[in-house]
Amino acid sequence: MICDISMMMVNVDRSNIAPDFSCMWRFLLSISFFPLAGFSQTNTDSIFNASLNEVVVTATRTPRIMGNLAIPVSLIVNKTMYQSGSLRLNDILAEQTGLVITDNFGRGIQMQGLSSEYTLVLLDGEPLIGRTGGVLDLSRITIRNIRKIEIIKGPSSSLYGSEAMGGVINIVTDRAGQHKTDASIRYGRFGSIDGAINVSRRFKNTDIQIASNYNRSEGYSLKPFAIQKTVEPFWKSAHQLNLHHRISDRWKAGTGMRFNTSHIDNSIAVHNLGNTIVSKGFEKNQEYNFTPYLQYQVDKKIKSVLRGYITGFDAMQQLDVKDAYGSYNDKFNQLFARLEQQTDFHPTQHSTLTLGAGIIKEQVSSNRYDSLSTTRQNQIIYSFVQHEHAISERFTIIGGARFDANKAYASVLSPKLSFQFKLNQRLNFNASYGRGFKAPDFRQLYLNFTNLAAGAYAVFGTEVAATEIKRMSDAQLLEQTTDMFSNLSILKPETSGGLNFGIKYVHPNNLHVNLNIFRNDLSNMIVTDVIAFKKNRGQIYSYFNLKRALTQGAEINVSQQISNTLNIQAGYQYLFTADKDVTVAIKRGQVFQRSASNNLVSRMGLNDYGGLPFRSKHSGNLKLFYENPKGFFATSRIIYRGRWGTMDMDGNGLINRNDEFARGYVKLNVSAGIQIRQRIKLMAGVDNVFNYKDIIHLPGNPGRVGYLDLQFNF
Amino acid sequence: MKKSIFFAFVLMSSLLFVACEKEDNPTANNSTLTSNVVKDLVADTIVGLSNGQPVGVGKYTFYSLENNTVVPSTDSNSNKWDIAFRGTSILTNAGTSGPGAGGAFVYTGTYDELKTVSPDSVFKKDSAPSSYAIPSGSNRGWYVYDPVNNLITPIPGRVLVIKTAKGNYAKVEIINYYKGGTTPAPSASDEIKLKTQRFYTFRFAHQANGTASFQ
Repeated sequence: MICDISMMMVNVDRSNIAPDFSCMWRFLLSISFFPLAGFSQTNTDSIFNASLNEVVVTATRTPRIMGNLAIPVSLIVNKTMYQSGSLRLNDILAEQTGLVITDNFGRGIQMQGLSSEYTLVLLDGEPLIGRTGGVLDLSRITIRNIRKIEIIKGPSSSLYGSEAMGGVINIVTDRAGQHKTDASIRYGRFGSIDGAINVSRRFKNTDIQIASNYNRSEGYSLKPFAIQKTVEPFWKSAHQLNLHHRISDRWKAGTGMRFNTSHIDNSIAVHNLGNTIVSKGFEKNQEYNFTPYLQYQVDKKIKSVLRGYITGFDAMQQLDVKDAYGSYNDKFNQLFARLEQQTDFHPTQHSTLTLGAGIIKEQVSSNRYDSLSTTRQNQIIYSFVQHEHAISERFTIIGGARFDANKAYASVLSPKLSFQFKLNQRLNFNASYGRGFKAPDFRQLYLNFTNLAAGAYAVFGTEVAATEIKRMSDAQLLEQTTDMFSNLSILKPETSGGLNFGIKYVHPNNLHVNLNIFRNDLSNMIVTDVIAFKKNRGQIYSYFNLKRALTQGAEINVSQQISNTLNIQAGYQYLFTADKDVTVAIKRGQVFQRSASNNLVSRMGLNDYGGLPFRSKHSGNLKLFYENPKGFFATSRIIYRGRWGTMDMDGNGLINRNDEFARGYVKLNVSAGIQIRQRIKLMAGVDNVFNYKDIIHLPGNPGRVGYLDLQFNF
Repeated sequence: MKKSIFFAFVLMSSLLFVACEKEDNPTANNSTLTSNVVKDLVADTIVGLSNGQPVGVGKYTFYSLENNTVVPSTDSNSNKWDIAFRGTSILTNAGTSGPGAGGAFVYTGTYDELKTVSPDSVFKKDSAPSSYAIPSGSNRGWYVYDPVNNLITPIPGRVLVIKTAKGNYAKVEIINYYKGGTTPAPSASDEIKLKTQRFYTFRFAHQANGTASFQ
């Protein structure tokens, strides 16, 4: 049985919450279903179809017209984010086809069936750090000052390195130098307030952009009368400064700076044989980023950029436990620094060569590992190359590779190859194969954790396990070591091979159809296994490269501009996932299940196997966007997530029985707004109109939430 | 050549097997096979906390598969019991656990499929404190422990093949570890999970005629 062992004492959700105006949603519902009138043949340049001509940078690390890309990429523009009433990154991603927001250790993203730890999240091209249990909490990130979000699916490690297995999400902040100032304020259910100010200016050769955001909520309780709220009161703030300076026609320099804080109240009640132990305290996370760069345009054909990046993530949790248990203090400090040089050559009009190299220094100190005074470090040196070549008008090929060498774990090479073939103006095919990897994280290498509460189990990272076992053995604390103990070895990066095949179809009547079929083969996946038993039967775990898994499926998106004012979009993803070794064991007849109704045991068949936990076989969405020239808009977005496996109930460690699944759900989100005299934007919306709740599996979902939003452009 | 030797060997051994069966088990005698279900057998239920860990009084519950009854712990040093339970630990009457001629091993497969004990089976004897015929620990013997939800669940497809103190064969399937044969919901409080655990529900078949057949 493989368990995700949590190191944090509590899992506090940090979702965005907003108000409940019970009659407002009816109004919004009624306006959100407009008659599908006025079918128009004219080619409207609405926001919804502009995307194929948009320039994206994430797919090839060079600016590219989206329609010309040989890699599955999608784009969310600011207007869509605003009209959808989204505040945090998880809000808007939850409404995209094939993306699922998970609800454990904050809001994680699941992409092509790969969990959050295999997805890279970039802010203006630089990776965000600070993961808990592998999850990067997306609700940390405000999207009030975000211009667009680019999403690349499938492995892109050949350009980005570790974690870019499931895909890459790049958040691009507002342009500097635009001479605009806007301020916005929102009030929502549960006393949630969000305020933001964005200023953008141009001074001669210098562009500047400043953004500030404050977000708070009183939290909520899904279980009435509970001492511990489901979501505790929190506040978050984010401040950002972007500077760009044109030194000369050829030289340009700049920097980005960002500072993020979140503070969450903690009030935790533990019941133990009739005794209730209440602990009070707080959790505080601070994150900072600093991104200086220097760019040199040698000539029309050669451009070179030197980028620096320093980011830190400091998390702490302070709990005063009533009773004799004393206080609990958890600290985790992570630092990531990178220096990278990238040069783009355009030897001919039809080809681009990208060369890059860099060095990463990473360090972590935490009392989850040893003491705060011991710092764990790793250094990575890497280089990458990519060549894009348009062989003909119709046929483009991209090849690339990246090599990452480091001290703490095995080195890794990630190649990539993609093709695009344009049959005609309407039909476009692309295919790509890439290998991706995820480096073992500090937890897997250095964790030194003993949980006294739940069965006295302990977890040791691979680099410290042998020493700890020897220490415990000398102290006569061990019953015995297992066979796995002798298998302890240097961890290898987890790797994946991803295959994507896509078809894009554009009909002149503004119909867009996009199909992508994918398959990801993961190997060397790191799982925990028991290495020893303590005298009190407590288990000691460490990490091993053991698991092989498969995710495959298809994603389809259809978008139709019905009239000048109305756009309809629909998306669906079918997903199949499996642990490959489980599949083999099932085929050999070595896996059993117990019936929930009569307790009888039977051999499991492949049809009984529900795949990897937390994956929905079916998910989809249906969205309507209405906007008229007078500045009025309304949206209606239906998000569907089919049932997903949550936990084993019958002792075989697998998802197989119906009671091991969480129920699927349908969420309807609506919003409407109006622009008054170019300066004022007023919006109201309701998320989760049907008030769907699932206390156990969706603690971050408070039910129906209404909000009012006011924006002023100076 | 090699192949034909192999076939000859297989043929001979199967003849041998048939011959053995005829000798030891002339007719599968239903009257000597008993099947029973035992419900809520108390196995050192939790009485309190010690250093924050839940504890019982530390005593095993001894059970006779031969007679389908609980045996008083005063008879622990006798041949009257075959299997004993304390928390997730299970003993058999042999080796360091008792004076009997018992032993056990964990069979992988379904209870119904196990129609006869294979003649090459190795019955292990308890050797405290390092090893037990039925291994203790999560995912080693008969159960898994889920540290996230703090629940014990019997692994499906595990049958305990027991040699009784007298040397007869029995097969045991643990069905549930909680009171009333129902595992608490994962969301149940730790209090409920602790108070209702260590109540065994199991079924067994016992062959009194000394043969290895459960038919």
